[in-house]
Amino acid sequence: MIAARSRGGIRHFGILLAAVAVAASTAQELPLKKDSVRFAVIGDMGTGEKAQYEVAQQMARYRETTGFDFVLMLGDNIYGGNSPADMKRKFEYPYGPLLDAGVKFYASLGNHDDPNERFYKPFNMGEKRYYSYKKGNAEFFALDSNYMDPQQMDWLNKALHDSGAAWKICFFHHPLYSDGKFHGPDTDLRARLEPIFQANGVRMVLSGHDHVYERIKPHSGIYYFVLGNSGELRTHDLRKSADIASGFDIDRDFMVMEIAGDQLYFQTISRTGGTVDSGMIDRQ
Amino acid sequence: MTAIVAVLLLAGALEAQTLHSPVNADAAMVQDFQKRVAAYLQLRKSVESNLPKLKATASDEKISHHEIQLRHAIRDARKGAREGDIFTPEISTEIRRLIAIAMHPDGPQIRQSLRSSEPVQLHLAINEKYPDGVPLQTTPPSLLENLPALPPEIEYRITGQDLVLLDTRAHLIVDIVRGVFS
Repeated sequence: MIAARSRGGIRHFGILLAAVAVAASTAQELPLKKDSVRFAVIGDMGTGEKAQYEVAQQMARYRETTGFDFVLMLGDNIYGGNSPADMKRKFEYPYGPLLDAGVKFYASLGNHDDPNERFYKPFNMGEKRYYSYKKGNAEFFALDSNYMDPQQMDWLNKALHDSGAAWKICFFHHPLYSDGKFHGPDTDLRARLEPIFQANGVRMVLSGHDHVYERIKPHSGIYYFVLGNSGELRTHDLRKSADIASGFDIDRDFMVMEIAGDQLYFQTISRTGGTVDSGMIDRQ
Repeated sequence: MTAIVAVLLLAGALEAQTLHSPVNADAAMVQDFQKRVAAYLQLRKSVESNLPKLKATASDEKISHHEIQLRHAIRDARKGAREGDIFTPEISTEIRRLIAIAMHPDGPQIRQSLRSSEPVQLHLAINEKYPDGVPLQTTPPSLLENLPALPPEIEYRITGQDLVLLDTRAHLIVDIVRGVFS
């Protein structure tokens, strides 16, 4: 069951937002419960352009109130080359205030990323294309969807199976579901990964690639989000679809999430600071 | 009695042959391919042992520098390499056959996966660098499941109609099968 919030902050349990482009609403705060796990999510951000910096500034502002202490990166972390100057302009400068505050970034690789980014320490990949780490009662699984070979699938199956975390969250670049007109879903990846997710209690999957925001209606109890517009943007790229719970394709955004026991709260915030989607997911 | 012994000896010889030789020509091709890949790895390992080990670092300069050094060292060590050294004509035929097998049940979803993953059109040559700033197209998992396993140092990548072997750390094109996806 998901509880989506409307503009006024009123919860409508079981009612899903249907608009393809939701207008910015008033800012809302997550519950900010004691000892909760709080993190932000960005995708397709590494352009080095003004809009990326503006989203990053908004993230820094939200961190002051929400206190998230790590960030998931959904790939396309650095567009157009990985020279030292690129890394500074497209990562270290825009997110400098967050890095200085001790916020950790955890990257997954997109199709525009150099696979050697796994050696870049600030991305916390431990020199691996795919890896997992734990925070509180959650375990996060970063996958390399560019190259889902049998070795990686075996690793994922085992890692998920062995995980005792209450929340198992997977993040990677290519979406299994997407109503983006430009790319759309990767159905071959879906055919391989979804059964593994279902068999091992994955509750939420985060991807990028399409330069829009989309919350997909749950499939077999799994909540899929596409967040590929934290730097890049493909305006009006979402097609009308019965699968969309909520969408935003007219500006950039990022997400803040909070896991408090059996509830996961999410809030999607635009470049200009408005909340374009929010809600709560029960662990079941 | 002599005849029975002869039959038993022949049966034993046939069994030994079955145990010690590839079951068919396709398996022999895959073995040959893996042997050639292993030879490449051996060469790569020997040149890499002369370089400082790359560890996670906050310095992108160090990562770039290591990549360049490794690429140049491998390139120098296999100066005489030619296209088809690993993907010989026979192995290329086997690779095409394995891809065709994958495409038979899963063709629509593989094609959809290829379309959604930002296809790139490049004309590459072996021992060349994979160009900076050009996205890497996803290799669909159903294809990877059907192709012979590779060590983590190299990957199958699709560029336009071609299947390439890419050394991911060195950004180096190791070999190419052309026109696989025509």
